[in-house]
Amino acid sequence: MSTRPSSLLRIAFAGLVLSFAVTADRATAATTQPRALGPLPAIEAPSAELAELGKLLFFDQRLSGDAVLACGSCHRPEAGWTDGQQLGIAYPGTLYFRNTKSVLNAAHARYFYWDGRLTGKDMPTQVRDSITESHFQNMDGRVMLERLKQVPGYVKRFRSAMNAEPSFGATLKAISAYEKTLVSRNVPFDEGNMSASATRGQQLFEGKGGCIQCHEGPMLSDYQPHRTGVAGNPEITRDPLRHLTLRSFAKFMGVPGFEIIREDPGFFTVSKQEEDRGKFVTPTLREVSRTAPYMHNGTIATLVEVIDFYNAGGGTAEGRDPLLKPLDLNAAEKTDLLAFLEALSGDAIEVGEIDLPPYEAIADWRSVPN
Amino acid sequence: MKIRASAGPAILTGLLSILPAVGLVLLPVAADAATGPATDGGPGAVTPLAALGPPPVPADNPITAAKVELGKLLFFDPRLSGDVSLSCATCHDPAIGWQDGAEVCRGYPGTSHWRNCQSIINSAYYRKLFWAGSAKSLESQAPSAARGGVAGNGERDVMEERLRQIPEYNKRFKKVFGNARPELPDAWKAIAAFERTLVQRDTPFDLYMLGDKNALGPAELRGKELFEGKARCIECHDGALFSNEKYYNLGVPPNDVFDDDPLKQITFRFEQFAKGVSEDLYRRTKIDLGLYYRTKQEHDIAKFRVPTLRYLVFTPPYMHNGVFFTLEEVIDFYDQGGGDDHAKLLTGTATKTPVLRPLGLADDEKQDLIAFLESLTGEELTMEPPELPRYGVFE
Repeated sequence: MSTRPSSLLRIAFAGLVLSFAVTADRATAATTQPRALGPLPAIEAPSAELAELGKLLFFDQRLSGDAVLACGSCHRPEAGWTDGQQLGIAYPGTLYFRNTKSVLNAAHARYFYWDGRLTGKDMPTQVRDSITESHFQNMDGRVMLERLKQVPGYVKRFRSAMNAEPSFGATLKAISAYEKTLVSRNVPFDEGNMSASATRGQQLFEGKGGCIQCHEGPMLSDYQPHRTGVAGNPEITRDPLRHLTLRSFAKFMGVPGFEIIREDPGFFTVSKQEEDRGKFVTPTLREVSRTAPYMHNGTIATLVEVIDFYNAGGGTAEGRDPLLKPLDLNAAEKTDLLAFLEALSGDAIEVGEIDLPPYEAIADWRSVPN
Repeated sequence: MKIRASAGPAILTGLLSILPAVGLVLLPVAADAATGPATDGGPGAVTPLAALGPPPVPADNPITAAKVELGKLLFFDPRLSGDVSLSCATCHDPAIGWQDGAEVCRGYPGTSHWRNCQSIINSAYYRKLFWAGSAKSLESQAPSAARGGVAGNGERDVMEERLRQIPEYNKRFKKVFGNARPELPDAWKAIAAFERTLVQRDTPFDLYMLGDKNALGPAELRGKELFEGKARCIECHDGALFSNEKYYNLGVPPNDVFDDDPLKQITFRFEQFAKGVSEDLYRRTKIDLGLYYRTKQEHDIAKFRVPTLRYLVFTPPYMHNGVFFTLEEVIDFYDQGGGDDHAKLLTGTATKTPVLRPLGLADDEKQDLIAFLESLTGEELTMEPPELPRYGVFE
């Protein structure tokens, strides 16, 4: 099987189409009863061979235009599979204007990205978006494909795992398969072995704290857009590289007035509804103790401060979500809430040594088929 | 001695002074690829050699001093590439004949290019840019180079917003083009305008043709006679540009740099893929299919547009794949009647031009020919990179 240019283009644009599916179920969400917290449902384990191939690809810098950034460059295992920065690093010559999200448990996400522009039902499209987006990996998929074919170790693994030569679609599938293995394990909350403090914290989470109004269900997220009123991060305009990246993204997404944009439009980027400006999709709280700093723009450094933020009724920005009210939590309650949040992290996922297969010149190149 | 082509006032004034006469003159558009077999031009009518006139300037992109100055900054600005590591000048280096000196151009980081990089000098006269003539103007050549996956790998919106993040460019673009903000297509126009100042019209050959009979010595004159006669170079390298801009397969030997370099093998396949050849050809070809990528006509396989011979002293290595390092090698190649028809070996369809046949040149004739070829180059045109304006913060 080989991927022709036309099918590559189709892959590239599929993401755009899917991105607008996110709006449908938003409107009524706030009025319904929150979904109960609980352990993550089991997902079908991908084939080990495919996931192993995906792991190599995830950490391979050759999947970016100038071969400097792998998926794993911004989703670093030792930083909770984020980059640990307030605002994300990005392709050289650009800088991101949002916080980098963790890929842990991404297999359970209903939407991807802070503005929810991609559906969680299609992880390969999210992978495609990261690889080809100009401020992420800026990779021409056709160059990527030919690079993979130049690595005998990959050719062998694609053949064995997918019965195919390296293709764009197979690459996305393999990385998705690996990401499906990056799920929380041995989480005290899931295992029912939380401390007394964390157990009290859960009650606060579901009761007085009101956290569950948005952080519901097994992923502790309603995947709806909300405006928490978190303060803007001035770096998105103070840093020329972030500002120009924000503008080019806004232009690509069809945001009117992108030329003079100074604030992250948030969910407006997807819905184009004025009332959605500054709204961001509720993130999961799983593994949250590993993924500082917090909020869509990384402006809150610690969970203690996040709890203080919500205890005060959220931020001061205009039009914040009416669900947010001062909580009047005392010090002990905050401690318990923090204990609960920390009980949502499982064992660190060990990556071990990554031994990337090298490029090799094709022997007798003029005589063998391409 | 070196002349600094600063594109500054002196040269520009000289250029501008001739503009009223040529500003609106466009060269007639020659029959091009789509017409099939006619793409192999010769043997046929030959335009006599001539001194180089002023370059044609498109009516919708007149040259002004401010535009040229802006174009110069942009030509040297690496922010017009994907990872801000390459400017036009990286591969078209003024210190290396406005090309990069490599057999096959270096290309974008993490990749290699796959063809020889051509000089900017006198590119203003071409009606077909790139080796297979895929761009018809400097204005459309520049974005192809800036965006190609193994060239600049820049993305349009990002490059445009980078320009808009630079206060000095906002000012200059507004002054030159009148828009509120820099527009990327205007950047290509400015670069094209700058490139139209990078011409050389005072070579010994030009001076000779303009009446200075001492400008060429006896060896050069003997070489000229061979060029126009026995060696038959003029059948393709004719006119003032020394190129009829038609497409020929000469049987240039493949360059063995592809044999053992993984990055070049990657790019070779990428080009087949990106240019939309059939899967069968993608699998089988080990040669650059040249004009075929545009026409998809078998009889166009391995044909490339005739390059100018001007400024060639500073632009080795030669041919579309940089396989020859010296003019001696090039002349020996033509003296033998060119090389094997690799297109025929690939598809069974012969495409090598009948123009080429063994010439029977004696050694001293070859030396005379080289003397003449060297008279098509004047002083080296170099240029210091300008200081680039910085990003600003918009309050």
